[in-house]
Amino acid sequence: MKGGVFLKPAILIVGVYVFLKIVLPLFTAPLPASLIFLYLALTTTGIVIFATLSGPSTDAFFGPIVRFLTGEGQGGAAQGARIAVLLLFPVLVGWQTYTSTAPSDQPPAENRTIHPAPPGEYTGLSNPVPNTPENVMTGKGLYAAFCSPCHGGNFDGKGPASRGFNPPPANFSDPTTIAMLQESYLFWRIKKGGVGLPIEGMPWKSAMPRWEVELPDEWIWKIIMGEYDGAHQKPRTWE
Amino acid sequence: MAVFQAVRANQEESMRTLGQVKPWCAGILVGTVLAAGSLVPSSGFAQESVSVRAALVKGALPADDPSASAWNSTPASEFPMSPQVHWPNRIQEVTVKSVKVRALHDGQQIAVLLEYEDPSQDPDDAAGLEFMVGDKKAHFAHGQPMAQVQGGPVNIWYWKNKDNNALDMNAQGFGSLKVQDQQDVKAKGVYQNGTWKVVFSRALSTPDVEHDTQIKPGDFINIAFAIWDGKKLESGDLKEKGSQKAVSSWWYFRADPPPDYSAYYYVALAVGLAAGFQFVIIRKLKKGATS
Repeated sequence: MKGGVFLKPAILIVGVYVFLKIVLPLFTAPLPASLIFLYLALTTTGIVIFATLSGPSTDAFFGPIVRFLTGEGQGGAAQGARIAVLLLFPVLVGWQTYTSTAPSDQPPAENRTIHPAPPGEYTGLSNPVPNTPENVMTGKGLYAAFCSPCHGGNFDGKGPASRGFNPPPANFSDPTTIAMLQESYLFWRIKKGGVGLPIEGMPWKSAMPRWEVELPDEWIWKIIMGEYDGAHQKPRTWE
Repeated sequence: MAVFQAVRANQEESMRTLGQVKPWCAGILVGTVLAAGSLVPSSGFAQESVSVRAALVKGALPADDPSASAWNSTPASEFPMSPQVHWPNRIQEVTVKSVKVRALHDGQQIAVLLEYEDPSQDPDDAAGLEFMVGDKKAHFAHGQPMAQVQGGPVNIWYWKNKDNNALDMNAQGFGSLKVQDQQDVKAKGVYQNGTWKVVFSRALSTPDVEHDTQIKPGDFINIAFAIWDGKKLESGDLKEKGSQKAVSSWWYFRADPPPDYSAYYYVALAVGLAAGFQFVIIRKLKKGATS
């Protein structure tokens, strides 16, 4: 069982790392590195507590470590490994210090709220235009003329004019955009445009035109119908 | 409670067996090595299409030479350009699809080089840089008013092939573009092999803080670009003019600060402390083993 004392903990730590880094992101969003570090630290702590539950297990766990670190009765490869570890530890500490204190040349992180709250007067409005095939068709035509250059003929946010804009135009076929918004929200966003956003939406960066100066409300409501139909999405409702 | 007491008893026993604190020291040491190893960051490269970095150089800036070899010493950032569709008069298709940007500064002056492909050299070919002025955020479309945020003006550095020099301008809303009384910006363009290279230069800071963007080394500020293909169409109109132009929205711009070596002092201190910590632990472990 020599060496086996560390084999299981090593397998456990590597297993936890692989699970957090590779397996879990298959089902959900990738974990931030700081959280993975925290889980690995907890796993290591758990292993140490488990290994020191009894006197003999403590000896079995720490004995080889102590012998390794003190170099007691070691020679050849073991002695080389010991020196490598003793050199590596200060180097890693130095590297960690460097990465946390070296001046950063990264631009400041931006926490832009993509769908900030609309002003009160734009909540709960219902589309006054009847949802008829003709109106949907008209809406799609208006969309093609006014919106598709940025938001794309396929409603995917990849229109020919989209490339230079940061943030990029919304992708309506993505279930996290218009599918989770109400029609009244879209009415506000189209009517007031990027400059109508509150500060958390960073209005100074948005290329979305303020369509109220060019399009009548009725056209905007028809465009909304055309957008949902074309992107195969349904507006969010209270029910 | 019984479990807790059992754990405690076992730990006391292990202390006696292996000598005081040494298992814990060893555990901390091994744990720290593992933890430090897992923290080594993955490599990241920030230069791509997010910001322009103006490198600090010694000696003269190539402020009036867009073809100077000094420009090759700094990497280019590349930004995609869109047709201006934000407000009328719009344009659906533009000649310039992307612009490469390089910048250098010497602690006093800054020079920014734009490089882009344009199949024809025309008198009305033009390019512009845009910055925010002061602390207030300004919309990238000429600092137009925002409904819920009080915006500020923009400072526009504009170059036109016909004059081959710069205009230093301000705007705060459509139709408010105004040439400044005090002109601080210089520009020079060179057309070669279907490519424009245009260099803009100015002092990093100016006394006119109300109208001019101030560039403080180390601080990130916003920058946007505009390019006009001034080709004359058969109809006699220019292909791109006024609001019909290629644009970008805001990106970041930073003049490098003077080198700061303090991080290396901290590293030396940290390495010394870590090595000392190791030394003390191992000495203690050795003493424990022989006692």
